[in-house]
Amino acid sequence: MNKNDEKTKIWPVDSARAESQEEGDFGDTTTVEMDRERFTGEVPVALRAYFEIISSDGKNELFELGEREISIGRSPRCDIHLPSESVSRRHARVTFRNEEYFIEDLDSTNGLYVNGIKVEKCVLRNNDQIEIGGEKILFNEERTLQKKDGIAE
Amino acid sequence: MASPNNDKTLITFWGTRGSVSTPGRITEKYGGNTPCVTVCHKDTTVILDAGTGIRNLGIELVQGADTEANPLSLHLFLSHTHWDHIQGLPFFQPAYLENTHLTIYGSHKKERFLASVLKGQMDYDYFPVAMSSLTADISIQEISEEVIQLGPIRIDWQEQVYHPGSSVRYRAHVNGKRIVYATDVELDQLFYGTDADENREFLCREYLGFIQNADLLIADGMYTEEEYPHKTGWGHSSIPVLIEAASRARVKQLAVFHHDPQHSDTFLDDLWVKSRSKHRSEDHRMVVFWAREGLTLSI
Repeated sequence: MNKNDEKTKIWPVDSARAESQEEGDFGDTTTVEMDRERFTGEVPVALRAYFEIISSDGKNELFELGEREISIGRSPRCDIHLPSESVSRRHARVTFRNEEYFIEDLDSTNGLYVNGIKVEKCVLRNNDQIEIGGEKILFNEERTLQKKDGIAE
Repeated sequence: MASPNNDKTLITFWGTRGSVSTPGRITEKYGGNTPCVTVCHKDTTVILDAGTGIRNLGIELVQGADTEANPLSLHLFLSHTHWDHIQGLPFFQPAYLENTHLTIYGSHKKERFLASVLKGQMDYDYFPVAMSSLTADISIQEISEEVIQLGPIRIDWQEQVYHPGSSVRYRAHVNGKRIVYATDVELDQLFYGTDADENREFLCREYLGFIQNADLLIADGMYTEEEYPHKTGWGHSSIPVLIEAASRARVKQLAVFHHDPQHSDTFLDDLWVKSRSKHRSEDHRMVVFWAREGLTLSI
């Protein structure tokens, strides 16, 4: 068979057999359909991100992050309410952009710290330690395979 | 890009990796793009190096911005023209916008003109778009003036000889603060070299004077103490010597930069834990951190 005759048959399955063919002759070919969903029963990667708000009494609180903007501050109107005098009313915000989370200082009095460094803005990575007016928050990010019904593994 | 809407000076790391870009999961925290840093104050933007990190900067500058009504005016300072410091330039979106003003500054000491070196990487053998096809208003200047004033930012510079082909370090003075960018230099040779360079003592003093009391020093710290003996003469510094020099010069914040491509996030995290306490003295506390892509500091 000449490769020019059968353009739709694209690739030899058995590479050893293909190597034995003369140059330009691709032998019997099979196109293998790869369907991840059918193969695994799962759809590709789902992102789960959440804050773990560290409490001195050991009862840490989890806050799931989605795609909407989140505010953090002393004001009860903030999505994450930190009732401490050292925390500004609207201290920081978290945004989701290009599949990444960013935390940004909102001109707070006592600053925003990520892993001990005072930052204006920072992309968040798994296990980043955020400090806001002495309050500690751990950023967690997980990538999981997700079942078709939406329940993560 | 965090907007500099007040008196703050914002420093953003767009690329922190040395030598070659290193994408992948094990480098996503500190980043895989090669050097690019911005210093922004009010409407003035200074870009330090055009490694692959400048691609994301370009996207950020163009995305959502009305560049017709507000043309971009940018100043790019190159430490030198090794690949990892210029390779992002052909992918810098503002360079393809007619109304962008881009001034590129670099050393005047090279055997070839800076313009021809930059044009060379866009030869048809290497890249499909010629430099002449960049539609922005681009001016390439070999620096000769000691000081360059750009709005509220004043830049001075010095040559660094301990790097193959040499490099340039820059210092931005803005709002009473000093930010120094001094990458691609082998401080171990400068301070502890065994060569008979009579000029070395002068160069040591010159270096320490340049970084003295810097509010932020972004500097080459590519190797560990153990790695350095195998990399002597390669033009990059070991982290302990960098920390020692910065501490002696009473630098306030040190961003260890130009990470070795082999150094994973976990490796750098462990190294930071081991290194961070070594520079502390009773009368001077310097903040030391590993420069990280996607990080913006305010000075």
